[in-house]
Amino acid sequence: MDLLFASIVSGVLIGMVLALVALGLTIIFGVMDIVNFAHGEFLMVGMYTGLLTAQATGMDPLFTLPVAAAVGFALGIICYAGFIKFLLRGPMISQLLGTFGLMLVLRNLALLFFGSEDRALHHGLLVGKSFDVGMGIILSATKLATAVLAVLSFGAVWLLMNRTRIGKALTATALNRQGARYMGIPTERMNMLAWGIGGATVTIAGALIVNFWSVTPYVGLIFTMIAFTVVALGGFGSVPGAFFAGLVVGLIMEIPGFWDFIQLFFGIDWMADVPMISLKYTWIYVSYFVIMLISPRGLFGWKQ
Amino acid sequence: MEAIRNTLDFSDFPKTDLGVALAVLVFLFCFPLFPHSAFAMATMIQFFIFSLYGMGWNTIGGYGGQVDLGKAQYVGIGAYTTMVCLLRWDIPFWVSMPVGACLSICWSFIIGYPLFKLKGHYFAIATIATSLVLKDLFEVWKFVGAARGLGILPYKYHPPDYWRLIFKEDIYYYYIIFAFFIVGLLYMNWFRKSRLGYQLRSIKDNEEVARSLGINVHWAKIKTYAIATAFVSIVGSFHAVYIKNIEPEDTMSLDISILIALMAMLGGAGSLWGPVIGAGVLIPLKSYLKEWLGASAGLLGIDLIIYGLIIMIISAFEPRGLWGIVEKYRRRRRK
Repeated sequence: MDLLFASIVSGVLIGMVLALVALGLTIIFGVMDIVNFAHGEFLMVGMYTGLLTAQATGMDPLFTLPVAAAVGFALGIICYAGFIKFLLRGPMISQLLGTFGLMLVLRNLALLFFGSEDRALHHGLLVGKSFDVGMGIILSATKLATAVLAVLSFGAVWLLMNRTRIGKALTATALNRQGARYMGIPTERMNMLAWGIGGATVTIAGALIVNFWSVTPYVGLIFTMIAFTVVALGGFGSVPGAFFAGLVVGLIMEIPGFWDFIQLFFGIDWMADVPMISLKYTWIYVSYFVIMLISPRGLFGWKQ
Repeated sequence: MEAIRNTLDFSDFPKTDLGVALAVLVFLFCFPLFPHSAFAMATMIQFFIFSLYGMGWNTIGGYGGQVDLGKAQYVGIGAYTTMVCLLRWDIPFWVSMPVGACLSICWSFIIGYPLFKLKGHYFAIATIATSLVLKDLFEVWKFVGAARGLGILPYKYHPPDYWRLIFKEDIYYYYIIFAFFIVGLLYMNWFRKSRLGYQLRSIKDNEEVARSLGINVHWAKIKTYAIATAFVSIVGSFHAVYIKNIEPEDTMSLDISILIALMAMLGGAGSLWGPVIGAGVLIPLKSYLKEWLGASAGLLGIDLIIYGLIIMIISAFEPRGLWGIVEKYRRRRRK
């Protein structure tokens, strides 16, 4: 039983961070119908930013978020103004391959500058600390703080999208570009802003994830796929959808944990032979496929 | 008869195109006779392999407009079938290649039926997902060597072995893949004028209209997907005996899938010469950049940065590929 609770809690905690990872992708997709393959690489940039800032200044890694956000915002805007703007005129395939090119460039720039070795944080206020909640659940302090900060950032973006003029303009652009332009909304600037917000949220998520996940230049792909799955489940373009879908995908990532639980609890021997832990991410791809087949709009989606 | 005439009929191309194509073919045929480095030879074989992959992708992605980014899974199925057959049961290449193609086609039907209910981005990402699932499964499947993969030990056989395609010198492989290349080109020439080819182009232009004309859109897509799959799987089998050492990471990774799509798109998707031009530009560029900048200069990853920048520039400024530039130039001259 303990294993079950531990898996659920860990799934929910990681799910909150994954929701923040996917938020940027869903905003960008909602506003301008473009799928960003470089999303995971943005996250990698955030992870390196968090790590290097913490190491250079001796700050606690949890407080590097503003730096990461600023870097992400700038990165998003530069990418949009310098590249994506031109890509939007082309057909879908060139958008897909173009963002793939961006992903290659970012990944290999990181390889060039930081080398290919694993890097992880070893110091910090919360690193290595954990507390026992009972029922066999041991909460690692970094994961808990990360999840809380992720929810706070998510809430901030939600407020921005729903309670401010700029957010309303963004939503209007997403719903009807032509109409928004007639109402005097500068849609071009809104696109840029969407990329800025998208970049900022994902780099914040990266700076949070680096607290418990080591970073290499190749870390991006798996997060790109996770973000696609979260966005597909929540519905392309939906902000609250991304949050709930993030929790669900976090639980999907814990399937190996549930597998162990079933195997131990019911004592099924053959289940122990399946190398479930190396199939950890397979479930994410499978669930993307299944979700798309059952309901292409996702849970809260409005874009077909 | 009709089909054979159609296959050999290139008369709808302008004369200059055919002249250039013939000159290139003669060059490719004579290339091994001139002095060359082993590296150049390997690059040329890679060029053939990837232009054939690109041709396969071009049927569904170029003519049909369905962006498929999961072709690497069929490279994997073809390569692993040949490898497992050879190592476990000593079945020669010419038998295991069609078996691999059949397995790939079966798999393509199984996943193609649900896949083609999706459109656009959703389809593209779903193909990636299926490909990665298969790769993950191959990485834990002990029968096919798990993550370490499988390898042929050439000294166990007696090269030149024409049945199992095990040779010491690359020149044998060169001419075999060259023959594949000619057959592939002729097949594509037939395909683009076939009934299915025209149906696909109408689906690409407007699916609703195609449906109203009585085309079974879903079935046409699945059929074409199977054709593309067979292409990729057959060349994947060849890749296995040529490379002699395969593992999931370099036969089935996402990078291979994207590279395949890129060949056709860079050259010009939906045209006969597109994949060949794309592979002819990209493959030498990729391997020589790696040789000069990556390995010699010791700058890790700089070759892929330049490569990525080229992809970005092409997709942002000339989405119809290099062939699109040629056509634009021609149109301007005609005016």
